[in-house]
Amino acid sequence: MTVVSPEFAEELKEYGDDTALQCFNCGTCVAICPLVDDSFPRRLIRYVQIGARERILASGRDLWKCLHCGLCSRTCPRQADPGEIILGLKRYVLAAWREE
Amino acid sequence: MSGSRQRKSDRVGVYICHCGGNISDHVDVEKVRADVERIPGVAVARTNMFMCSDPGQELIIEDLRQGIVDRVVVASCAPSLHEATFRSAIARAGANPYIYEHANIREHVSWVLHGDKATAKAEKLVAAAVGKARLLEPLDPIHVEARRHVTVIGAGIAGMTAARLLADRGLEVVLIEKSPYLGGHAARLDRVAPTGERAADLVSELAEAVLEHAAVTVMTSTRLAGFDGYVGNYDLRVRPVLAGPAEDRNGYVPFHGVVGGNPPELTIKTGAVILATGFRSYRPRRGEYGYGDLAGVVTLPEFIRLFSAAERSGDCLVLDGRTIRSVAMIHCVGSRQIPGIHEEDGDGRLNEYCSRTCCSAVLHAACRIRELFAGTRVHDLYRDIRTYGRGQEELYERASKSGVLFHRFTAEAPPLVEPGDGGETGDFPLRLTVRDGLTFGEEVRMGVDLVVLATGMEAGDIDELVAMMKLPVGTDRFLQEVHPKLAPVETSVAGVFLAGTAQAPMTIGEACNGAAAAAVKAASLLGRGYVELDPFVADVDPALCRGTGDCLQACLADGALEMVEVETEEGAARQARVIAARCLGCGACVAVCPTGAIDLKGWSLKQYEAMVDMIVADIPDNA
Repeated sequence: MTVVSPEFAEELKEYGDDTALQCFNCGTCVAICPLVDDSFPRRLIRYVQIGARERILASGRDLWKCLHCGLCSRTCPRQADPGEIILGLKRYVLAAWREE
Repeated sequence: MSGSRQRKSDRVGVYICHCGGNISDHVDVEKVRADVERIPGVAVARTNMFMCSDPGQELIIEDLRQGIVDRVVVASCAPSLHEATFRSAIARAGANPYIYEHANIREHVSWVLHGDKATAKAEKLVAAAVGKARLLEPLDPIHVEARRHVTVIGAGIAGMTAARLLADRGLEVVLIEKSPYLGGHAARLDRVAPTGERAADLVSELAEAVLEHAAVTVMTSTRLAGFDGYVGNYDLRVRPVLAGPAEDRNGYVPFHGVVGGNPPELTIKTGAVILATGFRSYRPRRGEYGYGDLAGVVTLPEFIRLFSAAERSGDCLVLDGRTIRSVAMIHCVGSRQIPGIHEEDGDGRLNEYCSRTCCSAVLHAACRIRELFAGTRVHDLYRDIRTYGRGQEELYERASKSGVLFHRFTAEAPPLVEPGDGGETGDFPLRLTVRDGLTFGEEVRMGVDLVVLATGMEAGDIDELVAMMKLPVGTDRFLQEVHPKLAPVETSVAGVFLAGTAQAPMTIGEACNGAAAAAVKAASLLGRGYVELDPFVADVDPALCRGTGDCLQACLADGALEMVEVETEEGAARQARVIAARCLGCGACVAVCPTGAIDLKGWSLKQYEAMVDMIVADIPDNA
């Protein structure tokens, strides 16, 4: 059970683009991603949408597998810019770790 | 009509179609041609790759013009596809179009049989058609005077559109509406998807046009009480709708009084009828997503009404004095119901269809909330998003851009709406839990102040009208057209057309399209002031009719037969007479006539006998 916290989007704004809600979960980014399995990057973008903060903080391993090849952003039909969101999440996660 | 007096044609032309292999891959078309050419009465038998093509039709026209043939048999696909094509080719050759008989050797032969069996059956069917064709006589279409007048039932968007267009075409129109208002369901909307126009503007513009049009008579608070006649000549009895439950009751009606006098009834003489009776908004069962049990669960139409009086607190939406921080909108309520999953209504029925308009209506409402009240969160819970029309997919994208958060559920696991408990979801009065397909099947939970149910469309309450006019109804209970593509606004009742949501769930734009199509159909039907009908109706031979009246007893069409006094050589007598425009051509009368006095034009008993004779006869083998 995850409680949806839409206000998480506000928290993320200072770390990168605010485009996650434009994603309509088609999965094109997952299909095109050459490196990471397990529904990456859509899973993390969905976590941003519903504000699953703890899951994002625990996803460092996946986040740092991303090489920013840009294929997902180039093929996204909704201009949600998944690559840029992943980059923003790296910054967010780093900041959170530092605070710890 | 007695066959004994009839000369048999010996110049039947037989035209056999390959259907580009559809037939000739299984039927030896050349063998059929060679064999049937030797059947007595056949003057010529020809084949063609596509008989319906111009060169194919040209074969028939040439043979008729040169006098080689005077009866035509085409062996091809089902007559529903091309019978009209070949009749019209015959007419173009200057001959009577009813000297034509059709043999279906595709659906009835090549699609179900192969090899020798197929060829043998094709020969039988063609031989039978030849047998009948030899006895065919030229017929004239039935000429019926038609009133250039149309009655439109229902003054919603579709009814008003049809009335206005017909009046503009120069026809007289009566527009009947059972409520005191013009506008129908559209008048209960605020701004409409996807353009955001005001429904009030659309309704007012149309209402003004029909009210001011000299050729349109608007009758509100009026309902249909009787329906009689036939295409071009319908008589509609209408009467005022009484306020209260008193209608059709005698004596004292508790808390209302005694029904006094008879409400004035009026007869409208009209040529065609357009049914624009609209839909009924689905009403959720008590407890469906908490509806009726939990405060703050409303239908989309209820929400639209509330939202039209929206107030503001900071950047939050306020409805009815309640601040709405978060709202959930649930799709497919009362639509796309699945047997075994959804609960049937009192009559054991489910709405298995998609209501088609709710996705866009919900998204439009969601956009309006987000764009006007940035502080109010919107959760959209859907099974599938079906934003199929122009400007609608853009609405879906706009909803995402404006920050609407989507969750996807399956029919098997609908969202659970419960009272909030002040726990993890905060101090919201309602709590919503859903197994979310977008979150990889995990359960997610959210607190909300309001739940909006996107209720679909159901067929209107028009059982009485359906029974009175003998209208065809589909399994979804909406009125049914003759053909979804080729006759989309026609009903099986000649001169009765469909407009708008009486037929199926549709948007305002689609309802106007349907209304325009119905108006054009009615105008072209009545435009000449007369209607021509196929002549395949019953016909009485005065020399044989003894006036038993058995045919009247058997007749299935109201008023298609009557008994009349006639003068014969033996004095006055009673005989049956056919009202051709009302006759269905079913033949029930033919079966019961003790003297064989009544027969069907174009489908006489002699013709049937000739067909049977040919089916049992040996066909000479030319191979």
